[in-house]
Amino acid sequence: MRNKFMMLMTIFVLLALLLAACGGGTTAEPEVEAPAEEAPVEEAPAEQAPAEEAPADEPSVLDVGTTYIWDTANPAFGWYGYTIRYMIYDTLVEEQGISNFQPGLAESWTVSDDGLVWTFKIREGVTFHDGTPCDANAVAWSLNWTLENDIETFAFYIYNFSEIVALDDTTLQVTLSDPVGNMEYLLMYVWILPESVWGEMTYDEIMEFEDLSAGMGTGPYMLKEWSEGEYLILEANKDYWRTTPAIDQIIYHEYATEDAMVQALLAGEIDVVDTVPSTAIQTLEDADNIEVPIMGSTTIDELIINSHEDGTQPESLWDPAVRLAMAYGVDKQQIVNVAYLGYADALGPVVPASMGDWHNSDIQDIPFDPVEGNRVLDEAGYLDSDGDGIREFSDGSPLEYRFYGTDDATVARIMEIISDGLMQVGISAPSTLMDEDSLIALYPAFDFDLIYWGWGLDPDPDFAMLIFTCDQREEGGWSDSGYCDEGFEEMYVEQGITVDHEARRQLIWKMQEQLFNDRPYIVLTNAKNIQAYNSDRFVGFGTETGDILWKAALLQAKPVE
Amino acid sequence: MHRSDYLIRKIGFAIATLLVVIVFNFFLFRILPGDPVKLIIHSPRMTAESQERIRQSFGLDRPVWLDMEALKQGDLYSAIDTQFTAYLRNLLRGDLGVSFSTRQDVTNLLKERVWRTVVLVGVGNVLAIVIGIVLGVLAAWRRGTKLDTSILLTGLFTWSMPTFFFGIILMILGRGHFPIGGMVTPGLHPEDGWVYWKDVAWHLVLPTLTLTILYMSEYMLIMRSSVVEVLSEDFILTAKAKGMNAFQIFRDHALKNSMLPMITIIALTIGYTVGGAIQVETVFSWPGIGRLMYEAVQKRDYPVLQGTFLLLAISVILANLVADLLYGVLDPRVEPD
Repeated sequence: MRNKFMMLMTIFVLLALLLAACGGGTTAEPEVEAPAEEAPVEEAPAEQAPAEEAPADEPSVLDVGTTYIWDTANPAFGWYGYTIRYMIYDTLVEEQGISNFQPGLAESWTVSDDGLVWTFKIREGVTFHDGTPCDANAVAWSLNWTLENDIETFAFYIYNFSEIVALDDTTLQVTLSDPVGNMEYLLMYVWILPESVWGEMTYDEIMEFEDLSAGMGTGPYMLKEWSEGEYLILEANKDYWRTTPAIDQIIYHEYATEDAMVQALLAGEIDVVDTVPSTAIQTLEDADNIEVPIMGSTTIDELIINSHEDGTQPESLWDPAVRLAMAYGVDKQQIVNVAYLGYADALGPVVPASMGDWHNSDIQDIPFDPVEGNRVLDEAGYLDSDGDGIREFSDGSPLEYRFYGTDDATVARIMEIISDGLMQVGISAPSTLMDEDSLIALYPAFDFDLIYWGWGLDPDPDFAMLIFTCDQREEGGWSDSGYCDEGFEEMYVEQGITVDHEARRQLIWKMQEQLFNDRPYIVLTNAKNIQAYNSDRFVGFGTETGDILWKAALLQAKPVE
Repeated sequence: MHRSDYLIRKIGFAIATLLVVIVFNFFLFRILPGDPVKLIIHSPRMTAESQERIRQSFGLDRPVWLDMEALKQGDLYSAIDTQFTAYLRNLLRGDLGVSFSTRQDVTNLLKERVWRTVVLVGVGNVLAIVIGIVLGVLAAWRRGTKLDTSILLTGLFTWSMPTFFFGIILMILGRGHFPIGGMVTPGLHPEDGWVYWKDVAWHLVLPTLTLTILYMSEYMLIMRSSVVEVLSEDFILTAKAKGMNAFQIFRDHALKNSMLPMITIIALTIGYTVGGAIQVETVFSWPGIGRLMYEAVQKRDYPVLQGTFLLLAISVILANLVADLLYGVLDPRVEPD
């Protein structure tokens, strides 16, 4: 009897432990919820807002579906949720369309003849959300603070700034160590943050700061609440300098899958979906109240050919004839039709047409033409002597290449199309799929022949060129092709310091041409960016930036009366 | 005497398992290809110094488990001052570390997430257990009838249904009637009391229904076969011979004995509750442990992964222990040798 009693007691204790382990969160949870001081503010704006703006009693709320809100409210180490951060913070220059900029906190700017001294006229009367002024002094403080603390998320854009001073309340002077050709682009990434929040902190304190006041800026919306993994609420800043936001509140909802977002849009639970899977486009277009803008993007995908001199690729892969034949063997249009259901464009040069005049429109892409591809290889002496359908190199080794990609259904389909096409010119490259990290782990050693990969490029062509420079092949660099060429290198440096747009454009075009002929990449497509919104509830979203949730686009949107 | 030996042996075994899990947990994620720093460092333009600073701040500049250089120089202390010993040291202090990607305290992250999963999977399981047992008993009681066949067929059908697919079907059917994703309408907090809980319950409908229907069949099928087996035992015949009526036999002899395998299954399921239902959480965007774990794997967020795996291991080990011990109490045949 006693034994049995002891046994039962033990079980109860263990059960209690288990429950404690599971239920522990209930007690701790109020701590993690929005800070207490936020609570009283909550109701206020909702009542005030309509009074100023007028007709409707209800504040207008835009519900946005996204698959990931952000990692942290702290911009010093937050790498996600850029569209949201831009609603909160301002920059000196803003993006108005892809590779197209407009003045932000800086009204205008001039540059000295040597390209080293930039003078910015800072907008008057701008204040941070807490009411402190954001004049030239505040901007200078913010930029200096960014550099002094080497803020990992954006300091590198202004590493070149050797001196930043406010000459008076509206004039900011920046001295550079070297001229730059893309100042607008660089400044588009550097948020102006208030001294009232960050001024007293040490570096470690900055990196540990989790309070919602990290989200204080001069932007059109104020950060009101964030529940990790669930939702984020932005409240309109009625004092915003450019315009009074037409939407009073924006709520971002985090969904785990794109399909769920599409269903939520159809059900009317949300008003906007930030990415639409191409399989859902038809369903959404068929719905009466849903608009599906199909916009340009800077997303490209490509077939990487290992071009590192110490790489493990076979010698034949260096032969321009082999590379050219491969280009003839890739059916880009089929990739567009099958994998993107038509929502992409076949692309030749690295810089897509969506990036305006940076795109080299003179380049004539190599068409899918296996007959021509075979002719090129026949002429170069690659013959299929054993009749197995695969050509051989002069040393007798067959043209067989290792071809890797990420294990994703669409990627698998694209790689299949590529493999099939290459086979038609007598090149064997069966695809091997692996998870993304395993794939990235192959890069440092350049232990591959071919890889299918993609990039979301920056709006400035610098990044698209940077990935082909020699330094980027070092550990931690971003070169995936291993390409390194002296002439290209010189042009890269040159375009970086060319302030004149036309002169820089010519360089960028030349660089694209060289890459197109050397073929470290066979560039495949430039995908469309597809979003969707409920047009019964909201209208007017801008589409120039390729993202209707981007600051410049979203500020144009209005609730339907 | 016997019993306490059994108790000590079982508890000892549980602790040993836990220790193995703790060590295994550390190395498991480090065997995976891919450098977490590579995923923390997002820009090619970041200087080498900033990259090094990030490495240091996460302790990733130290060797993984043994500093060979220091060992050669005979500096034993430095040789074992590694990521592994730091992990053990912090664990002993109850510190699960800081997430690589959000820099939030992992213990807090887990606390915030775990109750959400427990609510979801808990409600789903309780419903599944109750309905499953009732239907299982019913099927066994009316064995061979149309009722039995239809219960059995439904059970097999739902049991073989892929969670993801089934969830999406329910989502489409329930669209417009019930919320499709999330746990609560933004802006509501537990302090709002009744309104908040009503809203959570509303959001629970679709995911819980999915879980209940999918889990139910397992309980149902096992309960049915267990009852059927017990009904063919000799002691049932004896009871009949004693003149008991069918209902009495069923209630007093058959049911109690058929519950034994159910105890194991229920206890094990409770253990897995914390791990939740990654798929259901994903389909219905439920912000629980399952999704946390999924995202952490994608981002190679070692501290979060270690934390969630440890939590899972502890709950499974505890639940197993409970099942073992309960068995010892409930079934006199489980007597230690």
